[in-house]
Amino acid sequence: MITELSAIIAKEIRQTARDRKMLGLLLFAPLIQLTILGFAVNLQVERVGMVVADEDHTAASRAFAAGLTAGSTFSYRGHLVDGQEAVQAVSSGQASIALVIPKGFGRSLAKGRSTAIQVLVDGADSIQGVVSQNAVAAYVAGRSVDLMTERLQQRVRQSGIPATIAPIQVTFRHFYNPNLDSYIYFVPGVSAILLLVVTVVVTALGLSREDEAGTLEQVLVTPLRPATLVLGKTLPYALIGLVDMALVIAAGAMVFDVPIRGELWVAFLGGLLYMLTTLGLGLLAGTLAKSQQQAFFNAAFFLMPAMILSGFISPIQAMPSWLQPVTAFDPVRHFVEILRAVLLKGAGLTDLAPSFVALAGIGLITFPMAILALKRKLR
Amino acid sequence: MNASRTDPDPTADGGQTAHVVDLRGVCHSFSGTPAVTDLDLQLESGELYGLVGPDGAGKSTAIRMLTGLLAPDRGEGWVCGHSIRRPSRALRQAIGYMPQQYSLYGDLSIDENLDFFGHLFGLPRQQRRERKSRLLSITRLEPFRSRRACDLSGGMYKKLALSCALLHQPRLLVLDEPTNGVDPVSRRELWDLLYEFVDEGMAVLLSSPYMDEAARCHRVGLLDRGRLLAEGEPTRLIERFVHRTFLLRITGRHQVEDLIGAQPGVLALSPEGGDIRAVVRQPEAAGFRQWATSHAFTVRIEPVAPTFEDVFLGLLKDPAAIEERGGA
Repeated sequence: MITELSAIIAKEIRQTARDRKMLGLLLFAPLIQLTILGFAVNLQVERVGMVVADEDHTAASRAFAAGLTAGSTFSYRGHLVDGQEAVQAVSSGQASIALVIPKGFGRSLAKGRSTAIQVLVDGADSIQGVVSQNAVAAYVAGRSVDLMTERLQQRVRQSGIPATIAPIQVTFRHFYNPNLDSYIYFVPGVSAILLLVVTVVVTALGLSREDEAGTLEQVLVTPLRPATLVLGKTLPYALIGLVDMALVIAAGAMVFDVPIRGELWVAFLGGLLYMLTTLGLGLLAGTLAKSQQQAFFNAAFFLMPAMILSGFISPIQAMPSWLQPVTAFDPVRHFVEILRAVLLKGAGLTDLAPSFVALAGIGLITFPMAILALKRKLR
Repeated sequence: MNASRTDPDPTADGGQTAHVVDLRGVCHSFSGTPAVTDLDLQLESGELYGLVGPDGAGKSTAIRMLTGLLAPDRGEGWVCGHSIRRPSRALRQAIGYMPQQYSLYGDLSIDENLDFFGHLFGLPRQQRRERKSRLLSITRLEPFRSRRACDLSGGMYKKLALSCALLHQPRLLVLDEPTNGVDPVSRRELWDLLYEFVDEGMAVLLSSPYMDEAARCHRVGLLDRGRLLAEGEPTRLIERFVHRTFLLRITGRHQVEDLIGAQPGVLALSPEGGDIRAVVRQPEAAGFRQWATSHAFTVRIEPVAPTFEDVFLGLLKDPAAIEERGGA
């Protein structure tokens, strides 16, 4: 058993090392992808293009508009004549948001009368739309409070009645990610996805490649046990996966300043368990296929839901209640949880016990399934 | 873990067989289309058996069942007493198999391929080395041992595949169309190697679409559409052939070939150099000769002794082309 296993492992490593393209794909592609994805997957909404149609032309309207575009959320894209042009600008895509200040805005404010402004928002990108809307609402609320406070203080001074004006102050403290950088949140997720893709695709293709090349038949007439074959075709890639994981964590720390607060061995133990589940699934995808092409599609069929259900893109709490329990079967979910908790929160093995148990459980289902499927295929 | 799993051993109960191969009524069909039907086949050690038949006759399916790669739908078979239905490690150890298509790792060298399969058969280091160097020397692959398999010529590749199949010294060697894509010189070499192993007592079963190769086997089985049409020593099969063969020299062969083929009793036509061999049913043979002689396009017609190929072509059209008396 041991000689057979080591013979297969040695063979796999030898073949991989001789295949320059494969080696590059296994070791460098994840780094490049991490960098690109890490920058690209970013939920922070900034510099949303805004145009201003100031029909009022007063000092007050100019100050109001200037205050709104001063922050980082919006970037000023120019001045328009009226609301008509504003509609045009948003529907043509020239700007994502348009502020329309009607005539009489400044005069109403000065007289202490209620006034209205109009904001046109391009809602096609829902996240950007919601963030923009909230930013405008917060700004308007703040300005309103300022104006009212100012007026009240004026009245108080005029009337001579002693009074203090004290609105509620809020202070936010963000734990683990004080600046709410989405990189820090996403890089562990991206790492999990990259490991998933590498391990599932490599093993799925590895087995069907042997099938297509005819080498599987020659191996099958030897006394080799299917379990040994499965182990031999996965262990080397688990090793490569661990190397990938180390590279990706290092790159995350260097490029994206992702902290490493916990103990790395916990993360790697999680990684090992994680890869045993993904490698098992990759083998299953390969075993159920008749060609490399089919194996790839089988793998992709599994990859997409695994990514989406992992909570990597949208939070699990946002999913419908019937779908949420399904995510418990998604190894990516558990590994993302482990990686985030270890890196960002410094969590230890005991904190993460449920995730570890879940990963081990999934592995204990998928691995024997792969062996069984292989046994059936072999006959 | 289940290394000692035992199989029903037919030699154990009733002493029914000591055959190296014993197939009994083995059938297999692919999604309803029968590939092999009721195949009975026995093979003794030191015997070279050729399974011949046209493409699609079921040769590879029969071989894949025999090697335990494909479970028969019906029937049972044993190799050295080990069931082919539930392939055990003992069955695997008894068989050396060389598939028809490429089956070695092209990106590994000769040495590495041999070592890999040696390991999979669990050979101890010393034994592996000895057998490897012996096989490399008799196949004369020694000078190329660090060359990758994908860079080998067709003949060298086959010799390497043969060596990989022989490392564990199986009692039965199974070769699926071993000389496919091999030049004539290497083909001859392969045959010489096979005879050597047979002389040492190994049982060899090979499939081939080539009749000249079949004629070099001790015994042949003619397979067509999944059924064994005839079986026996090649020379005995030729003796028992009931029909007649003529050699015709004709002018304007392309114009009259169809005409000749359409004559009553003509079973098969095959080219031989510029001439045509015609296999004709025995009752119609005299009539055919007369008909041919009476036509101007016939330069010459003469009866000749049937070759093994004539026998095979005749059998494809007429399953009763072999006399039942005597024989295998």
